[in-house]
Amino acid sequence: MRWLRFAVLILAVTVLQKGLLARWSSKPDLLIILLVFFSIYCNTSEAIISSFTIGFAADLVGSPMPMGPQMISFGLFGTLLAYLNRVIAIKRMPFQALAIFVTSVLTGFLTHLLAYITGEPIPSNIYIVVLVTSVYSSIVGPFLFLPIAWWMRIKVNRYRR
Amino acid sequence: MARKQTKVSRRMLFTWFMLTGLIFLFTPQTLTSKFQLAFVHVFRWPLSIGADLALTAQTRQTLTDAPGRSETQYLNYIASLEETLDQQRRKFAKLYKLYNTYVWEGTDFALADVIPATVGGARNELTISCRKTNGLVKDHFVLGDECIIGTISDVFPQISKARVALVTDPASKIRVKIAGLAGLKYIMKGSGNNSAKVEMVKNEVKVGQNVFALKKPGFLDAPMIVGKVSECKRNQKYPALWDLTVVPACDVGQLEDVAVIIMNPQK
Repeated sequence: MRWLRFAVLILAVTVLQKGLLARWSSKPDLLIILLVFFSIYCNTSEAIISSFTIGFAADLVGSPMPMGPQMISFGLFGTLLAYLNRVIAIKRMPFQALAIFVTSVLTGFLTHLLAYITGEPIPSNIYIVVLVTSVYSSIVGPFLFLPIAWWMRIKVNRYRR
Repeated sequence: MARKQTKVSRRMLFTWFMLTGLIFLFTPQTLTSKFQLAFVHVFRWPLSIGADLALTAQTRQTLTDAPGRSETQYLNYIASLEETLDQQRRKFAKLYKLYNTYVWEGTDFALADVIPATVGGARNELTISCRKTNGLVKDHFVLGDECIIGTISDVFPQISKARVALVTDPASKIRVKIAGLAGLKYIMKGSGNNSAKVEMVKNEVKVGQNVFALKKPGFLDAPMIVGKVSECKRNQKYPALWDLTVVPACDVGQLEDVAVIIMNPQK
């Protein structure tokens, strides 16, 4: 894993998510797409590190939510996906889209549940926001895997067990 | 000498990161929000560029008379200067209008620039960059396009930033009255979907009626428009009562600057 490239990519995507995409009400979650990408195409240890790091980045731009919920939920489901990928290879685009959708829904709900534990209110439109973001992410995500793989110098056909 | 490589098991790695996450989760938000503000502060330039690009794309502007490459640097300099002057004129006009309104006599205003707004998601907030943070405290009302858009939720004087909880944020609760329902006061709660709710209203209200934030001693001296009724439907539990959906009176996503109302400023 090229960690410097990883850091630059995460930083750029985080700024993009908070800056350019922030004004659109319905948007894909680019950080979830990255989470699924690294869980699928990296070995398990790298997937664990990258999942928690992406979660930390999501927390940084997740204000006014407190820090921590996204780091935990991204880390947990990223790790689970990496282990799942050792059993079922997620190589085809429809499966990747499904993986993004499911991961996005699960992380979304766990994030708000954890935030609720710390005293944050749960918005009434939580289901719609999470589902719409998940659908957008799953549509856009598989198409972004190729440029991400190019930047990270990862062969997308590579599959480690 | 061969380099010794320490190998950490996956289980340990996962446990360490999970612990870090839990520490962040249970650390008081006043401390952890400094990380979030520091990120916005450090990357304010690319963030604002992104926001500007988004605004341009949304308004679908066409640059038919864009200057060519042959323009001299002096022309560019003059253009920038004229734009700055125009911006200052607009700010002055805005402040002049506010200071010369009868109800705002003795009130101070802090003009602030808006750093990308998050209005469509689960939480609704703004981060504002304000040169003058003196006298700015939590719960101060914030004006945007001549209407109340929210209240100050955090002030960070070290980096001249403050956070605004919009009236549509689920954590927001504001005392309001509805035009046409004289004498009745209600609580308007944000519902997160760029809208707010007023529940258990005794009478049916027409769509489009104005909703006013009630005066709050020390924070707001006169009622101010906060939104408009966009939907009125019967309460599911008590069908004799009505639930209102209120949308902000201005498009918060398009705001570039706001004014914070500082009642009884320190001289």
